[in-house]
Amino acid sequence: MTFTLPAFTLPATVARIAARLPQKPPTLALTLALNLALGRILPREDLAPLTGRHLRLNVRDAGLSLDFTLGERGFQACAADGKPDLTLTANVRDYLALALREEDADTLFFARRLLMEGDTELGLLVKNTLDAVDWEALQRDYGPAALVRRANPLTHLRALRRVPHDPTHAIEH
Amino acid sequence: MTPKQRIELVCPAGSLPALKSAVDHGADCVYVGFKDATNARNFTGLNFDPTAMREGVRYAHAKQRKVLLALNTYPQAANWKDWTAAIDRAADFGIDAVILADPGLMAYAHQTHPQLRLHLSVQGSATSYEAINFYRERFGIQRAVLPRVLSLAQIEHAIANTPVEIEVFGFGGLCVMVEGRCALSAYATGESPNCNGACSPGKHVRWEQTPAGMETRLNGILIDRFGDEERAGYPTLCKGRFDVNGETYYAIEEPTSLNTLELLPELARAGVRAIKIEGRQRSPAYVAQVTKVWRAALDRLMGDAAQFAVQPAWMAELDKVSEGRSHTLGAYYRPWK
Amino acid sequence: MEMKPVKLALGPLLYYWSRQATLDFYAQIADSPADIVYVGETVCSRRHELRLDDWLEVAQVLADAGKEVVLSSQSLIESESDLKTLRRIVAQTRFRVEANDMSAVRLLAEAGRRDWIAGPTLNIFNPQTLGLMMEAGASRWVIAPEMTGAALADVRAAQAAPIETEIMAWGRLPLAHSARCFTARHFNLQKDTCEFRCLGLADGLALRTREGEAFLTLNGVQTQSARVYNLLADLPEVCRSAEILRISPQGSHTANVLELFRNTIDGTIPAAQAFEQSAQWMVDQPCNGFWHGRPGLELHQVATSTCL
Repeated sequence: MTFTLPAFTLPATVARIAARLPQKPPTLALTLALNLALGRILPREDLAPLTGRHLRLNVRDAGLSLDFTLGERGFQACAADGKPDLTLTANVRDYLALALREEDADTLFFARRLLMEGDTELGLLVKNTLDAVDWEALQRDYGPAALVRRANPLTHLRALRRVPHDPTHAIEH
Repeated sequence: MTPKQRIELVCPAGSLPALKSAVDHGADCVYVGFKDATNARNFTGLNFDPTAMREGVRYAHAKQRKVLLALNTYPQAANWKDWTAAIDRAADFGIDAVILADPGLMAYAHQTHPQLRLHLSVQGSATSYEAINFYRERFGIQRAVLPRVLSLAQIEHAIANTPVEIEVFGFGGLCVMVEGRCALSAYATGESPNCNGACSPGKHVRWEQTPAGMETRLNGILIDRFGDEERAGYPTLCKGRFDVNGETYYAIEEPTSLNTLELLPELARAGVRAIKIEGRQRSPAYVAQVTKVWRAALDRLMGDAAQFAVQPAWMAELDKVSEGRSHTLGAYYRPWK
Repeated sequence: MEMKPVKLALGPLLYYWSRQATLDFYAQIADSPADIVYVGETVCSRRHELRLDDWLEVAQVLADAGKEVVLSSQSLIESESDLKTLRRIVAQTRFRVEANDMSAVRLLAEAGRRDWIAGPTLNIFNPQTLGLMMEAGASRWVIAPEMTGAALADVRAAQAAPIETEIMAWGRLPLAHSARCFTARHFNLQKDTCEFRCLGLADGLALRTREGEAFLTLNGVQTQSARVYNLLADLPEVCRSAEILRISPQGSHTANVLELFRNTIDGTIPAAQAFEQSAQWMVDQPCNGFWHGRPGLELHQVATSTCL
């Protein structure tokens, strides 16, 4: 991959204006995206410790402060009051870089471009769970070609002749 | 003078994407762990479940690379069976070598799975050829990872006196204390690398923005305070700033990363068999960036050692992902001691 | 309460004192209630006020006074010179040897010794590893400071053959060893040209947090706790899992501490009272976290069941 994100920061005026706007629409967009990922891409059991915890994502140069939590039915917006259990702060560019796997979270952390406050264990859980998402495999299993394959009746027939999955499991914490 | 034998590049993977990253960017071996306390990076959300492990081994083997499994913590009587079960699973998954520290476990592996290759972990704390040969004679270890306390000369001396392959850390987070025998974290938090697989674990860490700066605490103990412009480091207690006789400074070590790129020719000459990159807790992005640099450096070295020179671009890439302000040669460079 | 008659051991001197101060100290120890005395340099090979031959002489004096004397070996072996000293220690057969590194274990096993002591930095955490050390010739082991009372009980229960267990019950806890000297670093010196700045620091160099809280102790290449490990209040329970209690030497009042332990074991003083009396001889606050499976710096009060 030769494309790399250019370094940029949104102008300060953006933050000043955006901070005065309702934060709910952006929060809803975030939780919607997260819920699409929940289950299939982000394993529900792995993220269980986030349940009921107050999470806050600050997008500094965009003036966004997004408060949300993980409820029974998935991620949802929550009230901004009270101290969040975990707060992450970074600029748009760095969040994108993390999402595109161009930057390592610890690298940004050392450089003070990613700030974390509160429950470190939760922060680590979020970081490690995101790092473990195998986009390549997802593309293989859920990309356009894969969807076509799934629609093909012959695929099911082949599946019936495969060896059953090994039930060996990892140690429980 | 070209090195006599190929030096293996051993890269860390805390997840399947990181493993693929390492393999894709040129690692000869990847080292991994299970999602439990059997390895010394037992962090929440990190490491491989059985499905990921099988796929990881398949992926690596398809490209003729090796997968090494870290089982380098010390089991106790109550949980002994969890560790031996892990060794059994490793053999079942087709793991190329297990990296062990506990002598009891080595005896188990040696007797139960004689065909399974054994490596001595840095956690085994073997700092001399006498110690290394002890493990070789009793358990047949074929490779030993050296604690980061020996100078280049001392490493060379050890290699000359043992048939066991020697693997050394080349880059990444630095342990200041001899690995495997550090109870600092246990003193402060009750959890140690040895028994729990974690040093200064996340659940005891708090970061707090205060008027005086960003404070890092471990189980309530103030480890450091960072100004806004200062680079941050991991909250490991040996990297904090403390007061000794009225002076506040990095009394033990400052946040820094080991970087031995410029020592590659000497390490090769000394007979080192493999270079290990630290960082199973880092992301696929880190693994890609670091593996690429070291692959390029090792290829350059193998090509023509006499012409080997560290490229500034390599150092820049490595410095970018490093902890702290600087990098260090650590104990390899005697004045560090 | 009846306590099992355990023996008292004086651990190796971890600090660097002058030749005279060291000799005076051991003269005192010859008259103390210690049954076993460990001598020798375990921390730093550069320390030379007493060399191996001097330690052997000290050992002989103590042996003549009726003590069982053990030669302790260095915890961190780095160089061929370190190995040479180790070989000399193993070669002498007058005194038993404490092995603090696997290199010592190899040498002792090779020499066919069946009476050596497996020291606290050998990482023996389970019955299988202990069994291996016994096969190699260990007839006593000193538990790692971070080993909990519960884990120790499990190991002892699983042992097929008996082996003497020694538990450190007093002193600043050795927590880590390094190739770097932190005392030298404090004075902006390197280990090779350290000017022996640790000489005379009777109890090491105190390290505090930026909030002034005592946290660790710098002792050259060894890092210790600030707090003093003190198992006096826990003694009845501790003695059920031990044959020997180790007291680590400190700058002053070591003899007083030995007396106090002797009286407590003999039943002359109740454990809780002994714990209170011991306060006057501690260089810092007490802790007993490791025994109770807690962070080492905690003090778990047995009587009231609260943690501090």
